[in-house]
Amino acid sequence: MAGPGIAAYLIVSVILFAIGAFGVLIRRSPLIVLLALEIMLNSGNLALLAFSRHAGNEDGQIFALAVMVVAASEAVVGLGLIVAMSRLRADLDVDKLTTLRG
Amino acid sequence: MDVAAWIALCSPAVAVGLIALAGERMPRRTAGLVAAGATLVSFAASVVCLVALAGRDAEDRSEVSTVWTWLSAGDLNVGLSVLVDPLSVFMMLVVSGVGFLILTYAIGYMAGDAEERRYHAYKALFVFSMLLLVQGGNLLMLLCGWGMVGLSSYLLINFWHARRSAVEAGKKAFIMNAFGDATFALALFILVQHTGSLDFDVVFARAPEALGESSALAILVALGLLGGAAAKSAQIPLHTWLPDAMEGPTPVSALIHAATMVTAGVYLIARTSPLFELAPSISDLAAILGGVTILVAGVIALVQTDIKRVIAYSTMSQIGYMFVAVGLGAYGAGMFHLMTHAFFKALLFMAAGVVIHALAGEQDIRRMGGLAHELPWTYRFFLIGALALAAIPPFAGFFSKDAILASAANSGGLGWTLWSFGAIGAFLTALYTFRLLFVVFRPPMSDFAREHLHKERFEGPLAMMWPVAVLAVLSVVGGFLQVPGLWHEVDDWLGPAAESIEEATGVTAWFSALAALGLALLGIGLAWRLYGRPSEAPARLRARRFTGWFAHAFEQKLWFDRLYDFLFYRPASRLASGLGRYVEKPLFLTTLTDLGASVRGLSGRVAAAQTGVVRGYALMLAIGLAVLTVVFLLVS
Repeated sequence: MAGPGIAAYLIVSVILFAIGAFGVLIRRSPLIVLLALEIMLNSGNLALLAFSRHAGNEDGQIFALAVMVVAASEAVVGLGLIVAMSRLRADLDVDKLTTLRG
Repeated sequence: MDVAAWIALCSPAVAVGLIALAGERMPRRTAGLVAAGATLVSFAASVVCLVALAGRDAEDRSEVSTVWTWLSAGDLNVGLSVLVDPLSVFMMLVVSGVGFLILTYAIGYMAGDAEERRYHAYKALFVFSMLLLVQGGNLLMLLCGWGMVGLSSYLLINFWHARRSAVEAGKKAFIMNAFGDATFALALFILVQHTGSLDFDVVFARAPEALGESSALAILVALGLLGGAAAKSAQIPLHTWLPDAMEGPTPVSALIHAATMVTAGVYLIARTSPLFELAPSISDLAAILGGVTILVAGVIALVQTDIKRVIAYSTMSQIGYMFVAVGLGAYGAGMFHLMTHAFFKALLFMAAGVVIHALAGEQDIRRMGGLAHELPWTYRFFLIGALALAAIPPFAGFFSKDAILASAANSGGLGWTLWSFGAIGAFLTALYTFRLLFVVFRPPMSDFAREHLHKERFEGPLAMMWPVAVLAVLSVVGGFLQVPGLWHEVDDWLGPAAESIEEATGVTAWFSALAALGLALLGIGLAWRLYGRPSEAPARLRARRFTGWFAHAFEQKLWFDRLYDFLFYRPASRLASGLGRYVEKPLFLTTLTDLGASVRGLSGRVAAAQTGVVRGYALMLAIGLAVLTVVFLLVS
């Protein structure tokens, strides 16, 4: 079968994951952090699909579907939290949520 | 019969539960009635047992009823069982019968006390413990009853817990009893090891083989049992708790320290008589302890000024007689004296209680006097008790004491020594008893009595007076159960459980009886001479100071308390404070504080890492993951 080999897919997946992780680490808006998280999850999905194709069975695809479900629920919960947060305090900044400081 | 025995045992326990659970919902008087009623049920059930037993052949009069196996370890199986045999039924009748009278008396005596319900519950608990002790179907049950009796006496002695002296007396009684419990338990350990059982019949059957006659083991077992018996029965050298125990309410003194608990030691020796017969030296020791106690307690009683303490020392002295009897093997005579003593000593305590009640709680006889006119019935009852105690025929004490002396006279050299102790004891008994009687009741009336005497409708509440009257009747007629030389109901009845030695007959018996009677009359005469003539009570008491040093020694109770204080209390307290200062403080208190402080400091620093910034945590997570990845790559 023609097309790029598995290495290319994995490289793209790693790049996507790094972008997502970086986003989580450096952005302060919770919305963007959530978005970055989605990127990380989807990079994982990409890797799963690539391996699925490589191995020649559908396990990875099914797993990717499961990850999507989880991602969707996570987005719902996360957005719900953000809405609750914005009701409680005006500015949306994850660095200001330090109530749990030891 | 088994059912009756279990009912007898459990009904006071049920009463305790009822009173404890009902709490404030139960009126105070009802609590007393419940406790007394439960004891009456026990008495009725005991009578049923007696009738059932009497209907059987003499050999067949022993029955163990086991509900279930209570304790099982290897080959050792101990059942939750009660024993019904002549000896236990005899004790059940005494305990529940006299107990019922005393509990009824207590309803009147304690009326109006702030914690009446608790008191009645404790009393019922005591009756239950005592019945458990006498009915226990094996040595372990007996030990359980033994311990519980100690506990309930502790609870009752310091019933007035706001009184410091009462609390101290309670602790003293408990500790001295615990010492006896410990030696008792040690003896049981030896028995378990060598006979592999705690059932009476099995132990007694195997003991001669497993322990051996007069072997070190047999002596240790008997010594352990004797330790328990001496502590519970307040025999020298474990007697010092009994006089102090008079801090409890008077019905307690009557119940515990006259009628039942202190006689438990006598019961124990009679019950485990096969074990004592294996160690004759210890049996003799028991008899000698009893003989010495007769004399020591008798002389101390001569100089006491607290009405209840005099009776308490008299109790010790009378139990000394019982120890002489059971130590020499005259179990029937010992148990007979136990019974008559329960009658007349409870009578004396309760009559004294009426006096104390009428005098607003005063117990010092130096402030009493001339009460015969004011409390004529109490005086008569007290007189009956005193005559019975002094062993004047035909009152109960004469027959039982005479049986003991006659048995002692018949058992050879040691027996005659102990007989002479007993005969001197009879003199002392008469002297101190009538000293008490004359000082308290003979005119003239003291100022204190005139001022504080308050009588109710009938000298005391009716609930108090009729039990005293019943006991007075029993003190008169109780002795005819067994008349030395003529009939031996008690000996015959107890024969299957504990065979008694023969008592003297013929000339020896007459000599013994007449000598003791003569000495007792001499004692009464001397008491009349010293205290009987009308004068002010304090002056009469001063006149009796026969010689300085002796009187002082007796007043100090022969320094037993000081000796124990010096031997045990002070070293122990010094050791404890030394350990506290040099071990606990530097080693535990300081170290632990330092340890705690350093942990707190450390955790404070660790807690600083907990910034609460989510991005920080995420970064840490990423770094950790990266490090792990690098490590895995390097390793693989």
